[in-house]
Amino acid sequence: MRRRGRRGDDAQAVLETALVIPILLFLVCNFIAVMVQVTVQEQLNSATALAAQSRFQAPENALDPAGTRCCGVPGTSLSTAGLPTGCRYAAESFYGTMTTYTGLLHWQRATLCTSGGDSGNAANPPAQPVAYAGSPTNAQVSCDIGSVKSGGAVIPGYVDRALNPPAGLDVVTCTASASLDFANTPLAWGVFWTPTLHAQAEALPPPFRQ
Amino acid sequence: MGGEFEGVVRPRRTPRTRGGQALVEFAVVLPLFLLGLIGALDAGLWAVQTSAEVSAVEQAAMVASSAGSSPTSETAPDARAVLASVSGRLRSALFGTTIKSWCATNASGDCAPDATQRCPTTPAQVQDVDGPRVVVVCVSEADPPACATPPAGQLAPFPAGCEDSPMITVRVVGFVASFVPPGFGPGARGFELPANISATTHTLRFAP
Repeated sequence: MRRRGRRGDDAQAVLETALVIPILLFLVCNFIAVMVQVTVQEQLNSATALAAQSRFQAPENALDPAGTRCCGVPGTSLSTAGLPTGCRYAAESFYGTMTTYTGLLHWQRATLCTSGGDSGNAANPPAQPVAYAGSPTNAQVSCDIGSVKSGGAVIPGYVDRALNPPAGLDVVTCTASASLDFANTPLAWGVFWTPTLHAQAEALPPPFRQ
Repeated sequence: MGGEFEGVVRPRRTPRTRGGQALVEFAVVLPLFLLGLIGALDAGLWAVQTSAEVSAVEQAAMVASSAGSSPTSETAPDARAVLASVSGRLRSALFGTTIKSWCATNASGDCAPDATQRCPTTPAQVQDVDGPRVVVVCVSEADPPACATPPAGQLAPFPAGCEDSPMITVRVVGFVASFVPPGFGPGARGFELPANISATTHTLRFAP
């Protein structure tokens, strides 16, 4: 039987180290990536919740005058002329809160202002909200705000029939989706997944609006 | 005899040399292991702390937007009052870190009105003023432009947005403590983790 020499032992140790270190770094990278994902999801939830609540900080029937823009990133600002002011407030809150980790996010663009959705039940089919005329379609957040009276008619908000069933309640909903991309970070070395983050928030009108 | 075989047969490894090799291997692996362990612990700690900061600034923004001096107030409350409402939530997560309210003083030494607060925008700015392991809670207010008589052909209100309610921004910014003690990290002041979280909303008006 051949006895293994010192050189063989050394080679084995180097091989073991070469195997273990990448695995260790891979695990640490992925652990950090999960932590980043949790943190960004928290911030997305927070920004979406503030956006939904901001709708009620504007007068109910106010519309933005011509030339109004919001969320002023040069070249990508959104025109909100003719749209409910509450919708711009929602967008301003969202964009103003979602200021960190923006380099990691690829947004799924959506229509900024919609109205008239219905969660549905046995007697009422679910309905998708309809975009307000002139609403930008490249926003990072989409809010179903409703409740703006147009020519005397009330445009309904999103009817959530899980609240106060079966009639439901008109609520403001905001949604946002983005994928988290680690490609431009040092974590890209060991992180090969790109999770999609989604946040949805509902806000009920305050008592003086009900 | 010994000289005859020198260079042909290697001397057998003694327990002492084996012990030396194990020591060298251990010395190589230990820093890597500790780096991975502390990195994972700090990543977890960072996630917990950031989560607490996110929820705290959200709550603080809601407080600041609705806690004016009267129902029609358009002025944000003092940062110290806002900090008091969220300090418990922050202190439970940011252990080892000093939490302060940001106060830009005026000529008489009082906190300037919130509209003129200049919140720090990077953790380094806080570190320069207050040192490491300090985060500040800063409340700032952005007022809309004053309304003016619209020029011919334009409708009131003019300029656009002049009837808006002010926007309140609450920011938690600074360096928070981590598991690596001061002086042992890569930085001159330790290995603190940066925090820079903000929340923005309009002030609440009791509008119809």
